[in-house]
Amino acid sequence: MITAGIESVFQWDVLAVIAAAAIYGIAIGAIPGLTATMAVALMVPLTFYLDDVQAIAAIVTTVTCSIFAGDLPTTLVRIPGTPASAAYADDAYALTRAGRHVHALHVCLWCSVLGGLFGVLVLVFAAPPLAQIATQFTSFEYFWLYLLGLSCAVIVSPGSRLKGFLALLIGLLLSTVGLGTDFSAPRMTFGFDQLITGVRFIPAMIGLFGISEVLRNALRPDELPQAESSKIAAVDAETVSSLDQEKDSNRGLGVLLWKRKLSLFRSSTIGATIGMLPGAGADIAAWISYAVSKQFSRHPKQYGHGSTEGLADATGANNAALGGAWIPALVFGIPGDSVTAIAIGVLMMKNITPGPGIFAADANPDQTTLVASIYVTFVVANLMLIPIGLAAIRAASLLIKIPRRILLPLIVMFCIIGSYSMSGSYFDILLMLAMGLLGFTLETWKVPLGPIVLGLILGGELEHRFLQSLTVSSDPSAFFANPISITLGGLCILLWSWPLVTRFRNNRAGG
Amino acid sequence: MRGCTFLLMLICFVVGGCDRTASYPSRPITLVCPWAAGGGTDRVSRQMAILLEQRLGQPVSVINATGGKGVTGHSRGLKARPDGHTLTMMTFELNTMHWAGLTELTYEDCVPLVSVNEDYAALMIRNDAKWQSVAELESDVMAAPGTLTASGTALGGAWHLALAGWLVAAEMDADAVTWVPSAGAGPSLQQLISGGVDMVCCSLPEARTLLESDQVRALGVMSPQRAVGFEQVPTFLEQGSDWTLGGWRGLAVPRGTPTEIVDELLETLIPIVSEPPSIGNFAEFMEAQKFDHTWRGPAEFKEFLAENDRKLGALLKSEAMQSVNEDRFSPMTYPVILLGLIAVTLVGLVLTHEKGSGPNQPTSRSLPISRANVINVGSVIAAIVAYVCLAERVGFLLLVSVILFLLLVRFQTRIVTSLAITAVTVPFIYFVFAMILRVPLP
Repeated sequence: MITAGIESVFQWDVLAVIAAAAIYGIAIGAIPGLTATMAVALMVPLTFYLDDVQAIAAIVTTVTCSIFAGDLPTTLVRIPGTPASAAYADDAYALTRAGRHVHALHVCLWCSVLGGLFGVLVLVFAAPPLAQIATQFTSFEYFWLYLLGLSCAVIVSPGSRLKGFLALLIGLLLSTVGLGTDFSAPRMTFGFDQLITGVRFIPAMIGLFGISEVLRNALRPDELPQAESSKIAAVDAETVSSLDQEKDSNRGLGVLLWKRKLSLFRSSTIGATIGMLPGAGADIAAWISYAVSKQFSRHPKQYGHGSTEGLADATGANNAALGGAWIPALVFGIPGDSVTAIAIGVLMMKNITPGPGIFAADANPDQTTLVASIYVTFVVANLMLIPIGLAAIRAASLLIKIPRRILLPLIVMFCIIGSYSMSGSYFDILLMLAMGLLGFTLETWKVPLGPIVLGLILGGELEHRFLQSLTVSSDPSAFFANPISITLGGLCILLWSWPLVTRFRNNRAGG
Repeated sequence: MRGCTFLLMLICFVVGGCDRTASYPSRPITLVCPWAAGGGTDRVSRQMAILLEQRLGQPVSVINATGGKGVTGHSRGLKARPDGHTLTMMTFELNTMHWAGLTELTYEDCVPLVSVNEDYAALMIRNDAKWQSVAELESDVMAAPGTLTASGTALGGAWHLALAGWLVAAEMDADAVTWVPSAGAGPSLQQLISGGVDMVCCSLPEARTLLESDQVRALGVMSPQRAVGFEQVPTFLEQGSDWTLGGWRGLAVPRGTPTEIVDELLETLIPIVSEPPSIGNFAEFMEAQKFDHTWRGPAEFKEFLAENDRKLGALLKSEAMQSVNEDRFSPMTYPVILLGLIAVTLVGLVLTHEKGSGPNQPTSRSLPISRANVINVGSVIAAIVAYVCLAERVGFLLLVSVILFLLLVRFQTRIVTSLAITAVTVPFIYFVFAMILRVPLP
């Protein structure tokens, strides 16, 4: 079956499609405001003219590359290219401020590739049994999962946990704006018709990270980049030339990857498992594995200030999630994320219906070959990412060389267009500006911005799943009715009580 | 001095920008889809956009103006400038949202062009569920009202109405089956399989993969005849219930669009939707997706809209259906709890700050801020606001060039360099976004 898959993918036309899709994916992912989902949606009409293997190859490659490419603007200008990069925006950008952007991007690239490949392995070897877990998820389990993701955002926030909690609450509050699925009337729109949609997270994210950084730079241009990154091993940005740095980074990179092999395995497993759950994707995967990484790390203090460990783990997880998302899509025909939702549509257009039948080799050999070629495409796409990603890193690193007085106006332009392009609304641009001012203000008080974004993304879902659960059963014990909900709920409670326990222990030890 | 130049340039551009040629279509067309990328409406919209583009000779780009249960997209599309350059893929919700008090917008605010599809509601259960017919389910619901749960869409959405309408038609309360709101058919079906709900009401194409792999079973479809492509699913009519309800999709332009433009659009649209299936055309696409492909011309579509609106209004305003739009939970509870927590956290921060201040003071605060830098911040904000206010009137290329140039100069880049950068980047950005990525830039 795999050989048939290899045969069908290693055709010059399919490989050409993959190469083209890789470049396209990198370009879109690198532009803040354009997500992987949008990249694929834009491509759908085109797939009508491709055959089925080509169409699937195009989708798989585009997503793989755009999720990595999201790391480029995250690292270089601190504007997350896709929401999946928001978890480690501060770390990646801190490395850039210390002049180590090439190293940071190489970590992103190689961990993305390894995470992506691991995701494929999970998809190939464990799809049918793992998919059974996904069918166990009712609203109760989702509630706990979202709560767990949100708790992680507080755990990982650098500095004061209380400030992280405050940021999360602000994000959650923003997520209640608008007309939700559970209510008949919009909330807190303050008379703005446009707010009935709620606070869109793409413009919010661009504003919080991008515009606030521009404003900070505009207000205090004299501040040296090194001033705030004292916690990282100091590398002098001005004396180390980019080329030396690259050589140095390649040597260091192998060592780093080898040392992190177990944690990379751990975060890829988390990534693939979370990616498999419908409604939870690469973004939550990145947050949770980042939090787990911090908990197990020997240097938790570095997290948020340029930790390559956190960066490696989280960026591996978000790419592993992509493979995971195909599990429920192929096994049940239920999409694991918005991208696989589109992919299912394309498959059906080609008269292929995902579902258990797709794995029965005797009944329909054509479909099984197609499944195999999905696997092979994933591998090829990840390998293709290496050369194209390296080239993209080189090209993007030139950004850093542009003097700030030229870069800042250009970033402002990109923020405007990026927040406008998702839904073509001028209101979104103003929203972006408002969020930029909010982010700017909060940062001067050292409140982390990451939890706001996660609160905004997951807040609505959390409330929705909670109300859904209450509609189904008003009995509180239903929240702990089966092994999965007990595990997830127990983890949440443990996470929240852990600081109390350690403080209690420290007090006892100290007193 | 600089302000004066800015003003002068602006006047030039406003005057220059107004000169738009009369022939239609004179610039790229936007097709507003009120629902998310990847869903059924989105797929139909994107296919339609390609076919329109081939025939109109102007780029047609789809934007997903989602949220607000469809209000956002419908308002955006139907309140756009009525010049035929903004089309809307309207859906069923146009005729329900104004009855629910969400918007003033009704079908009378549009000029209907063609309807392209009609998918009826169907009732889905797990394959191993005990019910074999609608009647069996009906008697179980009647025996113990309020114990069974159903899902499929948001509170008061199309499929919620369909289920409630069926219950009322069977002389039960509209909430005899508890409605569990969800984000759409996909998540609902996942809940159905995991045992979270007992039944799902949605259209047949939405449940197609699960139906074909025998994971769920359709008890019946609420349509006058059996659905094309799903002939094995019996109708509710065959099973003794006269309840029918379907969703529909159709294209429209805002009210006030000149008749010549409407005629031109219809001349292009009618052949697209009426051609029999052949390679690469609309009918073949709809068949491949197993979407129903009933279409109506402008007059019939208008009549259908009026009748559909009347039917839904009577249904939504009826005594029996009031529970459909009632909130089960108080909407402000959660935000108020959050606000309370924020207050508590702020108090906590103030307290801990007083206790443990010292080394963690922000270092940056010590640096003095020059006046020029404050103006820099102000100019960034002003640039964004200026873009929002003027973009529609001035046009993208000119406005962005001016803003970028002024910002560059403000940030002390030499004028020649600024001009060069502006001249290179702005057309490049425009080319990438408008030509390749199909973002409808003004």
